[in-house]
Amino acid sequence: MKLDRDLADSTLEALKKAGADKAQCVLRVMDKSEFTVNAGKIDLLRTTENGSLTLTAITDDKKGSLNLNELDPESVARAVDEVIGLAQISQADEANDIAEGGESQSFEAGPTEPDLGAMYDRLENLLEYSKEHHPLAIYDQMVYDFSSIQSLFRNSNAVDLSERKGGYSFSAMFSSREGAKSASFNYTGYYSHDAKKELWKCGSLDRLLRENGQQVNTESLQGKFTGDVIFTPDCLEEFLGTVTSFLSDGPMITGNSIYKDSIGQSIAAPSLTLHSHPLSSELASGYHVTGDGTVAQNSTIIDKGQLTTHLLGLYGARKTGGQRAVNDGGCFVVEPGDTPLEQMIGNVERGVLLGRFSGGNPTDSGDFSGVAKNSFLIENGKVTQPLAETMLSGNIARMLETIRSISSERTHFGNAIIPWLHAQGLTISGA
Amino acid sequence: MNISDLKTHSHLFDDYTELRVQQNRNVGLTMINGDLVRNARSVQGGVSARVAKDGFWGFCSTPEADGAALERVVGRASTNAKVLAGRSSRAGLLLPSTQASGEYAWETAADRRSQKELIEFLEAIDAHIVETYPKLSSRLMALSNLDMQKTLLTSQGAEAHSMTPRSLIYIQMTMESGGEPVDLMESYGGLGQFEDRFDDPSALFPTLAKQYEHLVAKAEGVYADAGPKTCILDAELAGILAHEAIGHTTEADFVMGGSVAGQFMDKPVADPMVTLVDFAHTALGDTCPVPVHIDDEGTEALDCTIIDQGVLRKFMHNKESAGHFETAPTGNARAYQFSDEPLIRMRNTAIMPGQSKIEEMIASVEDGYYLMKPGNGQADTTSEFMFAVTLGYEIKNGKLGRGLRDTTISGVAFDMLKTVSMLSDEMKWTGAGMCGKKQPIPVGMGGPALKCTVNLGGK
Repeated sequence: MKLDRDLADSTLEALKKAGADKAQCVLRVMDKSEFTVNAGKIDLLRTTENGSLTLTAITDDKKGSLNLNELDPESVARAVDEVIGLAQISQADEANDIAEGGESQSFEAGPTEPDLGAMYDRLENLLEYSKEHHPLAIYDQMVYDFSSIQSLFRNSNAVDLSERKGGYSFSAMFSSREGAKSASFNYTGYYSHDAKKELWKCGSLDRLLRENGQQVNTESLQGKFTGDVIFTPDCLEEFLGTVTSFLSDGPMITGNSIYKDSIGQSIAAPSLTLHSHPLSSELASGYHVTGDGTVAQNSTIIDKGQLTTHLLGLYGARKTGGQRAVNDGGCFVVEPGDTPLEQMIGNVERGVLLGRFSGGNPTDSGDFSGVAKNSFLIENGKVTQPLAETMLSGNIARMLETIRSISSERTHFGNAIIPWLHAQGLTISGA
Repeated sequence: MNISDLKTHSHLFDDYTELRVQQNRNVGLTMINGDLVRNARSVQGGVSARVAKDGFWGFCSTPEADGAALERVVGRASTNAKVLAGRSSRAGLLLPSTQASGEYAWETAADRRSQKELIEFLEAIDAHIVETYPKLSSRLMALSNLDMQKTLLTSQGAEAHSMTPRSLIYIQMTMESGGEPVDLMESYGGLGQFEDRFDDPSALFPTLAKQYEHLVAKAEGVYADAGPKTCILDAELAGILAHEAIGHTTEADFVMGGSVAGQFMDKPVADPMVTLVDFAHTALGDTCPVPVHIDDEGTEALDCTIIDQGVLRKFMHNKESAGHFETAPTGNARAYQFSDEPLIRMRNTAIMPGQSKIEEMIASVEDGYYLMKPGNGQADTTSEFMFAVTLGYEIKNGKLGRGLRDTTISGVAFDMLKTVSMLSDEMKWTGAGMCGKKQPIPVGMGGPALKCTVNLGGK
């Protein structure tokens, strides 16, 4: 599908003519080609095309929005009338607004067309490699896709931003089996601008497959103790997503965020520096335009332990009186520490090397609990046994404050660059 | 597009083909502390074709749904299957032939309410909460209505049309306790358009009072002791247990992918009092929260009794897995969007009720917990599970005690079900579930309360 600039322009004019004080159109066209591996076989090639037009209208500080994928003139004309109607019935709220305009800009990243042959080869090679190097591995599902997304942001404040992104996304869910014994499933992913690199060399896949093979023989932990936990990169990335969710519009507007008054304050050990780098050339999943229609910038969220920004969108910033973030978050880059992983493990008297955390969503106060999956026991500085049915609990805020070290090694996922992290004082209990 | 229109394109079918026209219509409202922060509608629709050829699948979708688009998606889906067949050889797929046909629509007969009236509905609830519960520090409400409309034609001769709506209102109350926020969310609604699920806002007030009462108990509550405990899992937890811990492990694609359930067919996996069913559309005489009569492969949806009196008896199948296991498909193939391929998905998964009264079950516990409301959950191919628990109470000497702060429970489902010693006689359903497995999909979950031993996360 092609991006129809005239459609966005004419729709914007129609919204203004229909009575919108402020209006915005976001037009997207998406094409995807996707290979799926089910039960260890490449068995589906799926191609999808879609369009999306999101209209926003503000009248007398009242806002409505509507999304549709029927982009013929009659459907769009109906949508214009409908979104004006939605705005008119809404509540007046001075925080409703659209982005301020600037110069017209275009951004491009990644290829425009998929290399289907290379994608197939990568999957086939991975299946062959696994047979030889990870003979216990069973792939439940793997998805390898190429997506091309073209976006056009236009609004009545003269915002005119266009972006084209193309990239490859790989995800694998797998477990291992030896006779009647099975390991817990694990999963990981990788993003890139080409399909040249063998998939087992990407991100953490090879290590996770190797560890998963060891995890067919797990042992339960006896008793309960307060100990250390080393977060692996896959697991840490998910935790960082949880941490940054406390900085976003919802908990900030309700006032429930534990970090609502923490800008400029220390919320973590000085060893932690967390960036959000959507413009990084190292990250294939980056973006140049935010959801509000502003040009994205890189930012540092936690600088040597100190919180430097919330992640407020335009509405959240106006509603709370806070500062709008310069990006939409994600694209995490954590600065490496100075402790080699081997030494980090050596520093643990008794604790867990946490491969995956299957837990409940943390409470507003940051409390969390759940099960340590794909994890190992560490005793006297050595990784000893794969763990079964081990529960972890703690508090995110206190965990960040008591970070002991960050590893010097990092894993590149193509959408994030993440080290290992040594946390202390978590409750660890066996079945 | 109706079935008749779609049938004019059946000449396009050279191989096994599914042609589906679908539209999902959503209404979304979110109100935080009385402010309407989201007032949106969305319509996503189009056509897709899935073709099986020489042992491989090809799929294609487009948002257009005219004759040219239909011809294009069938042709491209066929080409995609050929691309795979050109790279590898494989035995042809054994796809059982099914020819279900029918129309199933749950559209309301009432006059439709406008979006303005939906906003006013939320405003009335919010005003009541503000007036009645001044100790709350914040409140959040979200209204989510989904109308999912599908028309399906297959080369095997199946024809189906359905419109399955779901209307939900989520209400989260938060209060401060010891300087920290404590919250409790409840969902209201289920199958049907808004007019068939909700009448006057005041009808919700008694349940809001109960929600507030539980929140106060939770705010004044304690953390659970970590470790294995005797617990009464109320119906909502039994439902998520049925779905997450057993249901996923017995989806045939998971079994083919290494699920531990593959080893347990026809073996005891639970106490004999436990029977677990994935209902297609009707259970114990009532329509289920997510009724499926014909699945997205054109197979008549039938109940699948997974565990019968403690013995594992059946997996859930689509056509391909049914061919693999040499059994009949169960009608579990479902897709979320027009652009999604059908996957093996649960429909309405439930543990069947027993004969005990909930009061006598609580009275039978000397030292344990009554766990009432789940948060998110996750299960494993090993049948290990984890669910968040957002509401519960201590049980001391057979009586309910203090409220519980958020915790999690975990265990190995096929072990844990062997510890079940009592089942309540009351079956309850929740129709707010959204399962994630490559695609999201609405599901129903149900069950009685059950007494068992389970591992708790504490502090």
